[in-house]
Amino acid sequence: MKNIFALLLLLPVIYLRAQGPPITTGTPVMLGLAGSGIRTFGKFISKENANIYVHPFGIPYNISPKFQVGGIVPFKWITPKGSETSGGLADMVLFAKYQLYKRDGKAKTFRILGQIKQGIPTGRTTSSPKIGSGHYQTYTGIIAGKISSKLGLYADMGYNFIPGPAADHFIYNFSVSVPLLPHRYPQKQLNVLLECNGNYIISPEIHTIFISPGLQLIPGRRILFETSVQIPVLQQNVLSNQTNYMILLGTRFLFN
Amino acid sequence: MKWLIAIFIFHISVALQAQARTEPEMVYIKIEVKGLACPYCAYGMEKDLSKLAGVKHVDIQLKEGLAFISVPTAQKPTREQIEAVIVDGGFTPGEIVFRSTPFKRE
Repeated sequence: MKNIFALLLLLPVIYLRAQGPPITTGTPVMLGLAGSGIRTFGKFISKENANIYVHPFGIPYNISPKFQVGGIVPFKWITPKGSETSGGLADMVLFAKYQLYKRDGKAKTFRILGQIKQGIPTGRTTSSPKIGSGHYQTYTGIIAGKISSKLGLYADMGYNFIPGPAADHFIYNFSVSVPLLPHRYPQKQLNVLLECNGNYIISPEIHTIFISPGLQLIPGRRILFETSVQIPVLQQNVLSNQTNYMILLGTRFLFN
Repeated sequence: MKWLIAIFIFHISVALQAQARTEPEMVYIKIEVKGLACPYCAYGMEKDLSKLAGVKHVDIQLKEGLAFISVPTAQKPTREQIEAVIVDGGFTPGEIVFRSTPFKRE
């Protein structure tokens, strides 16, 4: 039933104009709030056997209009059912994005970025449950986006390499964003989004897909607020501790 | 009485001419900015164009992908300078039009 509801949300999107940086999908636009604002959010994850709260801070820096570097500093608290909460600094991430292709038109653009992320095991692994993964993880991928006044589509996919016995996995995300108010600048904008987030582990084969409707309020040039609910539609071979849902509430802002 | 009126009109016209001379002549520039597909992107472009010498105000028409600026004629930027600002801002410059009268906006 929730799958049908999530799919029904997609239908009116096709007929409306699309805008707005995606919430759970990457964007190929490294400008303004879309890509160079500082970002933070709180994410509550409800699982069968635990509740998890994650709060990262993402700080990007544009070396040039085509090249962005940055870091993510996350904090995580895990509360297994019937146990005490364990929390603290989780695994930090350094990232770099480079624009591989750009085709601009009148009020539209199509861009592709290459992206690399390096996870650093700064999270504690001595606690129970562990806050960090204990591994260096390297992610490489691409982000593509076709944004126009009629429709905005985003796709973000890549591969996460984990050394040792932990399984590598393929990650993919898609997004469509729709403005509820007419386009104007300076903007006071309200966007509705529908996203799809997938994670595929080859061996052992585990495949999860979430449908994520979201809402984004942009009251001015330098700040936006956003919220998203991620609903699982597939948790193939996830035999224990399945995810019930995830809720995200966050903001992005520019200092100048 | 006629003399008084003539002198009065003469002084008024001299005052108006003096005032006109103190306001600089302006050049109005319409810039097509390709790739301006989202309001979030427009903020950076607005800031970058504002940094051109003499620019007091930048007006961006998102739907048309256009930016309008006006500068004193003495500080008129070159086409190449404007194109460089747009490229450095992450967009693609299109047509740039210079005029001595303001553009009509939709």
